[in-house]
Amino acid sequence: MKRILALVLTLAMLFTLAVGFTGCGKEADPTPVAPDTSSPAETSSAPADTSTPAPEVTDDPDVKVLNLWSFTDEVPKMLDKYKEIYKERTGNDFPYEIKTTIIATTDGAYQPALDQALAGGGSDAPDIYCAEAAFVLKYTQGDASQYAAAYKDLGIDVDKLVAESEIAQYTVEIGTRGDGKLVGLGYQATGGAFIYRRSIAKDVWGTDDPAVIKDKVGPGWDKFFQAAEDLKAKGYAIISGDGDLWHAVENSSDQGWIVDGKLVIDPKREAFLDYSKKLKDNGYHNDTTDWTDAWYADMKDAGGKKVFGFFGPAWLINYVMAGNSGGEAPGEGTYGDWAVCEPPVGFFWGGTWVLANKDTKIPKAVGEIIEWITLDNSETGLQYYWANGTLYGPGGTKDTVASGAVMKKSDGTLPFLGGQNMFDVFVPAGEFANGKNLTQYDETINGYWRNQVSEYSNGNKSRDQAIADFKQQVADNLDVIVE
Amino acid sequence: MKGKRLKSVSYAKYGYIFSIPFVLAFLIFTAYPIFYTAIIGFTDLKGLGKTDFTILENPFHNFQLILKNPSFQRSLQNTAIMWTINFIPQILLALLLTAWFTNQRQKLRGQGAFKVLFYMPNIITAATIAILFSTLFGYPMGPVNDLFKMLGLANEPINFLLDKWTARGIIAFIQFWMWYGQTMIVLIAGVLGINPALFEAAEIDGATSRQVFFYITLPSLRTIMLFTLVTSLIGGMQMFDIPKLFLNGGPDNATLTVSVFIYNQAFSGSYLYNRAAAASMLLFIIIAILSGILFYLLRDKDAIKAKKEMKKLRKAQAAARRAEA
Amino acid sequence: MKHEPIAGRAITRTIKYIVCITLAILSVIPFWIMIMNATRGTYEIQQSAISLLPSTFLKSNFQVFEGKAFNPLVGFMNSFIIAGGATILGVYFSSLTAYALVAYQWRLRQPFFTFIMAVLMIPAQVSGIGFYQFMYRIGWTNSYFPLILPAIAAPAVVFFMRQYLAGALSVDIVNSARIDGAGEFYTFNRIVLPIMKPAMATQAIFSFVGSWNNLFMPLILLTDKSKYTMPIMVSLLRGDIYRTEYGAVYLGLTLTVLPLFIVYFALSKYIIAGVALGSMKE
Repeated sequence: MKRILALVLTLAMLFTLAVGFTGCGKEADPTPVAPDTSSPAETSSAPADTSTPAPEVTDDPDVKVLNLWSFTDEVPKMLDKYKEIYKERTGNDFPYEIKTTIIATTDGAYQPALDQALAGGGSDAPDIYCAEAAFVLKYTQGDASQYAAAYKDLGIDVDKLVAESEIAQYTVEIGTRGDGKLVGLGYQATGGAFIYRRSIAKDVWGTDDPAVIKDKVGPGWDKFFQAAEDLKAKGYAIISGDGDLWHAVENSSDQGWIVDGKLVIDPKREAFLDYSKKLKDNGYHNDTTDWTDAWYADMKDAGGKKVFGFFGPAWLINYVMAGNSGGEAPGEGTYGDWAVCEPPVGFFWGGTWVLANKDTKIPKAVGEIIEWITLDNSETGLQYYWANGTLYGPGGTKDTVASGAVMKKSDGTLPFLGGQNMFDVFVPAGEFANGKNLTQYDETINGYWRNQVSEYSNGNKSRDQAIADFKQQVADNLDVIVE
Repeated sequence: MKGKRLKSVSYAKYGYIFSIPFVLAFLIFTAYPIFYTAIIGFTDLKGLGKTDFTILENPFHNFQLILKNPSFQRSLQNTAIMWTINFIPQILLALLLTAWFTNQRQKLRGQGAFKVLFYMPNIITAATIAILFSTLFGYPMGPVNDLFKMLGLANEPINFLLDKWTARGIIAFIQFWMWYGQTMIVLIAGVLGINPALFEAAEIDGATSRQVFFYITLPSLRTIMLFTLVTSLIGGMQMFDIPKLFLNGGPDNATLTVSVFIYNQAFSGSYLYNRAAAASMLLFIIIAILSGILFYLLRDKDAIKAKKEMKKLRKAQAAARRAEA
Repeated sequence: MKHEPIAGRAITRTIKYIVCITLAILSVIPFWIMIMNATRGTYEIQQSAISLLPSTFLKSNFQVFEGKAFNPLVGFMNSFIIAGGATILGVYFSSLTAYALVAYQWRLRQPFFTFIMAVLMIPAQVSGIGFYQFMYRIGWTNSYFPLILPAIAAPAVVFFMRQYLAGALSVDIVNSARIDGAGEFYTFNRIVLPIMKPAMATQAIFSFVGSWNNLFMPLILLTDKSKYTMPIMVSLLRGDIYRTEYGAVYLGLTLTVLPLFIVYFALSKYIIAGVALGSMKE
């Protein structure tokens, strides 16, 4: 009866425990392929791991299936293209059947299922799997990083390619395990920009030139609030809600929430309390919450005040703002009335990282695919198609990619941005982003933090009380030392 | 009505035989996981992918931690509050509707359709309902805010979901709205199980609808009422998906229920399985005590009296026999 | 016979209708919104998740299915096997267990009932722990058994059936069957089960709906596409929060609900009309 409802959580719980048990069983058998991730590289050379060349790897000829786990159809669709290119390059069909398992992250099932599959091993275990920014740390540096293969062990010449392709540093930081080995990289760059309205910029400052506007809204939050005051004088809101600001604050801080097992409130994150209060008290925003109707409405001037800008990476433009602008061509709704400039602080938001299982029987094939997705900067590499919107044929969505080299030779002009080349802004944006402040607890702790910030900014409690309650919530729910 | 008792001797074995499937299925699919959890509560098992655990030196350490945990205490209060403001109106409305729909004298037209419709909110998945209600109470724009403005109740948009009591009230309302139909159906099924001869007799004696309901329907429903109360209590104490999906326990822990708390212990980052298991066992104990109270309050007093008298009689007989000897 | 005054009756009747119609509207609205959203585009829904009027995106929402391995027919079949199997087994064996508890005097009867109540009170999260792990070890992933067979031990259903039987079962009927020479099992199937029809119908609806809408367990147990249930398929449509095809999700949800209506309407006649008690009139 009513407990059926509660089953949802039941199941989640038992699932993760399952990981434990099967993992236990597995330890009992001898693992023939690679008892330890690091062994092939280490046995072949000196301790200076970073400079070792990639070892030769070979595939088990008996394996015919490549298992791919993902939470959207993005990567599976890439592999369709890969098969085409493979055929063009070699004249042969891709020798593996690709078995895709897609589980959405929205219902909280992807991680437990993936954990189980990784721990369970066997022929159904994923060879390649994807992780999203919200939880990638668990797989690259946290509790589940033991399952990841070092790219180098897949025969990828990591050091050379990372430099050559100019991969944004923050994606490398996130993808590097505690032992210094690179285990995951993305294809998309999610460095953030400030995306603002040209018409409003002209009205307030007489120009919509990104070079000028970036000096109006930044660098630093003081200038940003100065700009907010200018905008307020003309009846505009600088952003839609404090959540917009949060993404920039969160990923520009120097420390993550947890340092050495202790809760740390980075001064930059603590300052968010004051920013949020200031925004609210002065009416600098429309007081919306991100991902709600009112927030989307602000993208086409349907909210209380017209909103000047949003903080976000290219995907926010492509998948959220363009569709919600109330038009499909310049002149309709707010479409075409936008531009991007450097944000007051560098940050990134979201992204997908691609990892391989250390126990894969076909490391060579897996390595080639991963290299093609994450590190190939040629015109037949995935990222070139991705940046130019040609993966599924011409005229697709252009997106920012991990490789700066690829973006430099691609065309990032968007009609949505009034013909601006977004790569001019997003290439440096990726360089400013910092990947060292993530923890595997972020989703939870951010939730508590923003909850308390809104308690404070709405005047329900004092600043000190909000911080105290935040600490208490963290202490109550996580295995973290709170002082 | 119960008639004479069966000759119990010859048929007792069927009681065992017919219970076998239940017991087997329980042992295979449920027993092991339960014992597993019960044990974990006394161990140090935490962290993803951990397999080995040892019983703690102080086996009740996790239980003590949970009992002292302010969020747990809060979640107990919240659960009790939200259950009460959902369940009392729910059972009253369900009883009222049951009275209406089983009233032989005044049949409502279309009551079949109503019975079907009232259960419908239970068919939609909780996730859909959560989205629906967050949109309804959207801020700074949303249907309810529009309505308030239209009626002149507020000049500025109100951020309803930031107010603790409003948030609790909405969740209680959602629970009420999702479950009153089911409660009603259960009660109606109970009424259908009442011997029609009773109603016929009342009819002949000239009882009013009200009298029939209070003096015949309600007392006969006692066993089903006990079922409704106990399952609602258990379901309410385990309230999870609406509080989780709608506001994720917020604002400021105001809608954090015990089940959401347990979920957070296990899955919000630290994988504290041991503490989650301990909290589950505590929840079990609380439910068991409360259910025990309900059973006691709604016990069948006549049956117990009869049993006692039987016992006395037997004792007396035995005494008499002894005296004879 | 006493009767209420005519005018008073008319008023109470009107009040009853007003209350019932209001509640009925409250019940229908979410379905209406869901169906309307199934015809709307993702961006329309993001701008306002509630609309009482349809839009023009029904076809394009269907097209989203094609790219996403969303096959309603396969989903319906799988869901029907699981929900149907679990419901039939659950209701039948719970009735049998309840009959054992009510009709026979056996030494462990009361302890057994207490035991069932205790099982019922165990928080779901407890009984769930370890279930998956167990299924995984005996190789029952991608199998329907772990989703169907546990329904045999459904304490809440047993409890309900017991409470119902305690009120509805007359020992005389059972005895008369025995005098006619019927076996115990035959008596249960042919005489007791018909008495329990309203109770079985209600519990069948509840367990069918519960099993049909159950997402998490199937989601983690069934990784083979050809075994996906409807809710799994809908959940796959959702992708991640940054890019959800809301129109298609609502269309999927609408399709998921349709069979529930059919089952519900088919069983509801037992709830609506008192068809049950013919066999036990004295």
